[in-house]
Amino acid sequence: MTLIKSTVIWLVALATMVCSAQLKNQKTLSAKIHGNCEKCESTIENAGDIKDQSDVDWNKETKMAMISFDSLKTSIDEILKRIALAGYNNDIFLAPTDTYSRLPGCCQYKGAVKARGKSAGFNMDSETLDHVYSNQKMVRQETHLLSTVFDNYFVLKDALVNSDGITASASAKSLLRTIKDVQMEKLPTDVHMVWMKVLKPLEQDIGHIAATENINRQRVHFASLSRNIYEVLKISKPEVPVYYQYCPMASDGKGANWLSKEEIVKNPYYGSVMLSCGQTVETIKQ
Amino acid sequence: MSKIKGPLKFFFILAGILLPFKAMAQNVVRYNLTVTDTMVNYSGKAKRAIAVNGQIPMPTLTFTEGDIAEIVVHNKLKESTSLHWHGVFLPNQEDGVPYLTQMPIAPGETFTYRFPVIQNGTHWYHSHSGFQEQIGMYGSLLFLKKKDDPTFRKGIDDLPQVPLILSEWTDIKPENVHRMLHNANDWFAIKKGAVQSYTEAIQAGHFKTKLKNEWKRMLAMDVSDVYYDKFLINGKDESWLPQFKAGDKVRLRLSNGGASSYFWLTYAGGRITVVANDGNDVEPVEVDRLIIGVSETYDIVVTLPEEDVAYELLATPEDRTKSASIYLGQGRIQLNSRLPKLNYFEGMKMMNGMMNMDGSMDDMGMDMSYQKMDMNIVMYPEITGNTPIKSGGLKEQNGHSTHLNRDITTLNYGMLKAPQPTTLPKEAPVREFRFELTGNMNRYVWSLDNKILSETDKILINKGENIRIVLYNGSMMRHPMHLHGHDFRLLNGQGEFAPLKNVLDIMPMETDTLEFSANMEGDWFFHCHILYHMMAGMNRVFSYKNQTPNPYLPNKVWAYKKLQSESNMFHFMAENDFASNGNDGKIMVQNTRWSLGAEWRLGYHDEHGYETEVHIGRYIGKNQWFMPFIGFDWRYRKQHGGHEKNLFGQTSTKDHRAVLSLGAEYTLPMLIQLQGEVFIDGKIRFQLMREDIPVSPRLRGAFMVNTDKEYMTGFKYILTRNLSISTHYDSDMGVGVGATLNH
Repeated sequence: MTLIKSTVIWLVALATMVCSAQLKNQKTLSAKIHGNCEKCESTIENAGDIKDQSDVDWNKETKMAMISFDSLKTSIDEILKRIALAGYNNDIFLAPTDTYSRLPGCCQYKGAVKARGKSAGFNMDSETLDHVYSNQKMVRQETHLLSTVFDNYFVLKDALVNSDGITASASAKSLLRTIKDVQMEKLPTDVHMVWMKVLKPLEQDIGHIAATENINRQRVHFASLSRNIYEVLKISKPEVPVYYQYCPMASDGKGANWLSKEEIVKNPYYGSVMLSCGQTVETIKQ
Repeated sequence: MSKIKGPLKFFFILAGILLPFKAMAQNVVRYNLTVTDTMVNYSGKAKRAIAVNGQIPMPTLTFTEGDIAEIVVHNKLKESTSLHWHGVFLPNQEDGVPYLTQMPIAPGETFTYRFPVIQNGTHWYHSHSGFQEQIGMYGSLLFLKKKDDPTFRKGIDDLPQVPLILSEWTDIKPENVHRMLHNANDWFAIKKGAVQSYTEAIQAGHFKTKLKNEWKRMLAMDVSDVYYDKFLINGKDESWLPQFKAGDKVRLRLSNGGASSYFWLTYAGGRITVVANDGNDVEPVEVDRLIIGVSETYDIVVTLPEEDVAYELLATPEDRTKSASIYLGQGRIQLNSRLPKLNYFEGMKMMNGMMNMDGSMDDMGMDMSYQKMDMNIVMYPEITGNTPIKSGGLKEQNGHSTHLNRDITTLNYGMLKAPQPTTLPKEAPVREFRFELTGNMNRYVWSLDNKILSETDKILINKGENIRIVLYNGSMMRHPMHLHGHDFRLLNGQGEFAPLKNVLDIMPMETDTLEFSANMEGDWFFHCHILYHMMAGMNRVFSYKNQTPNPYLPNKVWAYKKLQSESNMFHFMAENDFASNGNDGKIMVQNTRWSLGAEWRLGYHDEHGYETEVHIGRYIGKNQWFMPFIGFDWRYRKQHGGHEKNLFGQTSTKDHRAVLSLGAEYTLPMLIQLQGEVFIDGKIRFQLMREDIPVSPRLRGAFMVNTDKEYMTGFKYILTRNLSISTHYDSDMGVGVGATLNH
């Protein structure tokens, strides 16, 4: 009898110790959470765990998580929501598509998904289409000998918007090639005159941009390059509207222009720092 | 979420009987609204709120164009109330602004609003009395198109529709919120993690930025002023609309009934099509997200793409502290990613560049207008990337998180276009008004042309004129400017298709132009719809000349004075440090221009002494850096040996002194207060002082030094809204530690 009694006391004591080391009002549930590797495990558990509130233990083989939580402080929904927001689908919540696509490769349990709506992929498609379309037109009409020059200019501009010096340098090289390919004699007289005037400085500026991967130096030359491209574009009248934009803060406060196919401002002189600084000063169209 | 307590059950039942009662004769649609006190629990604490027909938000009122609206308000509160019909064309006496268009509805009184519905669209209604809007008095107000309306849009106007009203909740009484804002209490910033202290600046590599910011006499800026415990859609921070299924298109009629929060709207099921704004149709435009200004309304259409998935519509306040969600459809919930925390120091850096030393702003030659250039964008990590964090933070940063999406299309006013021409009568005479939106954060003064309502008369206009208003925002915050009783054309570059609005969100340094036809006589409020800015006096009244008398407001001259005084109330603050070496404290009563303050330092024995100073002063100028005052000093301190001399060789009489003085206070760069004082006994004193140096999020430093060779230095650690622990060294009283209580 005493033995039983002491054992019971021991058990009770043990149980209390275990309990006190754990959460108050503890409830434990298991839930399926998609994922693949150790990286997933730490992200899932980090997202789920909150001190004195919840504790998540995920098993990468079974994809099951043991979720313990203080039922007065939080709920299983709240915990699963946090895990989904970190990128991992479960029975209640689906992860945001952009968050999922940013997970490390080994964690992309669904395989690469195409993002809904206006994703980067979608954009690229439409841009390529545009490009093909304008090329066809050029071949057919032969009036827009300079389209490829302008298109390559826009590629260079986008690289600067993204503050990507390497791509900028590469696109400057192809811009230089297309400039050399222009058959000047086929240009209308007025365009020809302007082209003659700006050709030298154009080649110089593009050469400088191609020669470096330093984004700041590239931007210095891009300012004068843009002015000259503008001269040509204005006289040659593009088929689609082009926006001449201006940021007064660029070039150390002297201000600088650039050309864009979109009306919305994406500043090539600052990139992400002041992406929307600037305004459209002129819309050039036929 | 909100639980209505027992005694209100009666009204519940009453409302249940009365609400569905619609008298159809003469096409009159009647609602009975019973306004009662209630207790709610949004955050875990029971707090007072106001319910109408037992609910928060107030019930959605629906009418069809052509109806006569009859809304009977039963005021069961212990205070007066009113209801304003936001964005509605109606006779002036029905507009619901106490002391401007009617007398307040007194406790126990019943008041009937009655007006013909002559427009269609999404509107909302709210109390225009005191701070009642913040604690529950907001609701959706829908005017439907008639079926045979020539502007009826198939595929939009026939979609299933849901009214959604956004709002926010704070456990702090709004009167106290207002007082805390005026006293530059930084409790809200602490709760939001937006103190932008020196240690945070150093960690972020922005020490110079912070230094320059204070050099230019700016307090840390935030995109919004108040910390809220909850953000709500139709009164809940999380809710469902399970009635929709895959393939459905849904029209959401959104109103922002928040007192001071702008909301970002994003949808997990794809892009958002904007179809109307401020109750007026616009040409549909597809965007990834939009921001809805305080008191604006937007109608959006969203689609549910897949079976067995519910899609989250996420409303995130501009300060991104929390969010509210509503799920459309049934099944597993497709979430939206949360908007990442703001890079405050990037914003500070930009502000430094834009701010001149004299407190005016320099737009560097950019003509900014119509939300096209969001200068806050420098703070958005989803566009500009995360600032590198120089620490082994607890949460592991995976290398992919810097992936940016610069192709997010955000709605701006330039994209809004009316479906029909909106031009004003051509032959009408044009009158132009220009206003600069002005304000200073330090004392929370918000005004137009540096004048608050109580410093201006009504602006007289003639019926039949075309009124053009050019607004320039010279303050550091955005303001949703709202005009009562009229829609205005926003001259946003859409020519004759300029969109019609009644709220204009104008960002810092923007210049926007709007125009309207003065076609409805009366006295119409024109004000910033951020409740706390409105109560600070950022208001004007447009008044038609020769108008017929308003039967609800017999004495208009007296009433206008009353209205003026409501937005220039005195507010009170008090603080005392109970320290081991004495008591240090002050009380202050201030309004927009005047300040009455008393400070004391009371030792525990005669050697430490006792002293008090009282100042009555008036703040001068837009930035209110200068305050001349008259003062009275009394002090007693038992001294051993000879009298002390000040820096000017004048003998100080610390042991017994009671003198009047003339002086002035001036805010120097680094926010240091320079005080100069001449006493009637010929003594002169200069003093430099700075309190509340933000050392870390909760630690504040202070120092004082003056020409009486007195000095003080100390620190304060803020524990709660009303309590800090402090330590200081004082040349009179020595070292002390204690607790500071503030109100």
